Amino acid sequence: MADAAATVSGDPRGRPTVLDSLGEDITRIVYPVSACMLLVVLLVSLLSSPSAPSPLAVSIAAATGGGGGSGGGDDIPTALVTALTFVVAVTAATFLLALLFYLRCTPCLRAYLGFSALSVLLVLGGQVALLLLSRLRLPLDAVSFALLLPNAAGALALAALAPASVPIALHQAALVAIAVLTAFWFTLLPEWTTWALLVAMAIYDLAAVLLPGGPLRVLLQLAIERNEEIPALVYEARPVDPRHGRNWRLWREGRQPGADLDVSSTTVEVIGEVFGRNLDSNSGNSSSPQVHGVATSAGDANNSRPRATLAAALSSADSTIAQAEEVPVLREHRVAVAEMSVPLIQPRPERSGEEEEDEDGIGLSSSGAIKLGLGDFIFYSVLVGRAAMYDYMTVYACYLAIIAGLGITLLLLAFFRTALPALPVSITLGVVFYVLTRTLLEEFVVQCSTNLLMF
Amino acid sequence: MTVAAGLGYALIALGPAFSLFAGVVARKPFLVLTLLSSTLFWLMSLIVLSGIWRGFLPIKSGTWWAYAILIITSVALQEGTRLVFWRLYKKMEEMLDAFADRISKPRLSLTDKMLISFAGGLGHGVAHAVFFCLSLLTPAFGRATFYVERCSKMPFFLASALIALGFLVIHTFSMIIAFNAYDEKKKCDQIVVPVVHLAAAVMMLVNLAPGGCLIGTPLLLVMAVLTLQYCWRVACRRLTEHQHRQLNN
Repeated sequence: MADAAATVSGDPRGRPTVLDSLGEDITRIVYPVSACMLLVVLLVSLLSSPSAPSPLAVSIAAATGGGGGSGGGDDIPTALVTALTFVVAVTAATFLLALLFYLRCTPCLRAYLGFSALSVLLVLGGQVALLLLSRLRLPLDAVSFALLLPNAAGALALAALAPASVPIALHQAALVAIAVLTAFWFTLLPEWTTWALLVAMAIYDLAAVLLPGGPLRVLLQLAIERNEEIPALVYEARPVDPRHGRNWRLWREGRQPGADLDVSSTTVEVIGEVFGRNLDSNSGNSSSPQVHGVATSAGDANNSRPRATLAAALSSADSTIAQAEEVPVLREHRVAVAEMSVPLIQPRPERSGEEEEDEDGIGLSSSGAIKLGLGDFIFYSVLVGRAAMYDYMTVYACYLAIIAGLGITLLLLAFFRTALPALPVSITLGVVFYVLTRTLLEEFVVQCSTNLLMF
Repeated sequence: MTVAAGLGYALIALGPAFSLFAGVVARKPFLVLTLLSSTLFWLMSLIVLSGIWRGFLPIKSGTWWAYAILIITSVALQEGTRLVFWRLYKKMEEMLDAFADRISKPRLSLTDKMLISFAGGLGHGVAHAVFFCLSLLTPAFGRATFYVERCSKMPFFLASALIALGFLVIHTFSMIIAFNAYDEKKKCDQIVVPVVHLAAAVMMLVNLAPGGCLIGTPLLLVMAVLTLQYCWRVACRRLTEHQHRQLNN
């Protein structure tokens, strides 16, 4: 029985199986996305007054394509026009960014990146902090606030922009902070506008990355040709291994001594290889050399850094919004958000030269790191934050839908091994689940629960 | 009744789940993914169920048989979902074993399979607790509390938290029993799981009677303990058999 108990308790004397480390890179993306969504939901619950729980008539109107406007000056034509304007502005900005990148104007891109990060943290962060202080009645005098805010904003902006000089955890926390603040401000838009914006951005993302003339695709190809990285705010799920207590900056060097850290092949590569093997074994070819060949050649061709990160920058703030009176803050954070919208997800398989036979039997030590653009964080959180304004049941349903969409996108990524848009699947699933929950699920669950009938 | 009470109710429903998560599931990332996907499955089955029943709601309070039909259809659908989950798990197991062979690591051990089924069951239980209890708990953070007419001795939130706890335990551990039974092809265990689920759900009909929740809730917790004990027996038996087989080889 002692042996059985030891086996049950996962005694490390037993050989570590595949289950120990599989899926780690996916969870390393899921945790920060979940944290960002949680923070936005908390902020929304604390700071916003909830929208009126609309009666079912509104949802039915939504399901049948929308009739006349619902109350509050928030009607569908306005929403559609606003969303369309935003998408047009983002497209123009992305093309401008591509042009600047083509002309090798990197300093001005970097300067703009820094300016937008700092402005988000300073202006939006300051206003959120003021709202929190007044809502929670925390005592803080103006002088301390004036000292703390610029310092915190500057430190976080530096951490977000220069990842090589700060610990990785701080860099990632700064990126999540920027995403949370931007997403919170988006949730202040009127309801129909938010939904129209989300759907429009999902469609734009799909078109921009996959269509041959799309701005993001052009940018990506430029970056791959030149083997440079585009300056952008992108969250990279670097493995952070607190158990080993190593210098986390080791990962930035580009080669990791395989014996130090618990390197195992990433889930993305696993799925890719398993699928590749199944497909190839069905078609009768030999699988492993082929898959390895593709991956290694891709790795070599890009000098083991095939990172392509994208951003859409808005060059000038002369956004022609007709409904300026509607949302006065739209102007200032459009700048920031368009800059941040990097709706892209791409693996970065990094193969070092040495072959570590003892690490894993594949023969190449690799650390694929999944990169997810900050724009994805923002729009996921906007969807969940808007769901939080209705009820918490929609929050849970939309959270599961978004994580499922992210999982599906990662599976597709493993399958196709090219840059993919991360927004469309998740936003679609999120919107579908939101509508289904609001119309179908809530009634049912409330009926059953108030009668204490559960199953 | 203030944040403390709200948090208390949330912890009654989800505290054991949280410690199970932190202690077992969070250590292996694959189990976290299994938990999330089984939560999603449960949610989808619940949405399908509510879609089917939407036309018939709200049910008039006198007709308890309508509730009985609702419960029976719900349990049937959820057991069907469990079967679908099992099939998907088998496919996943094949892929994982194939991958393990390729990188010459050992295949999934029995403990691993049990851990996966545990994570799947925990996902179902967490989904149940979240959607039936946690999402309705928001008023509990306010200043007053809420009593249902038929259950005037217990606050509604306390009753729903205890029931959610009971069902969490039942879902979690019956998934282990079920996967074991499908694996070993034991008919009696395969029957036990839906029967236990159905019995527990039907027991909740007692809550419809005035004052019934004082009987129904403890009975449900007793069922949960019985499920736990049965699962313990099944798991111990399987593991000791496995040990003996390995020692004999």
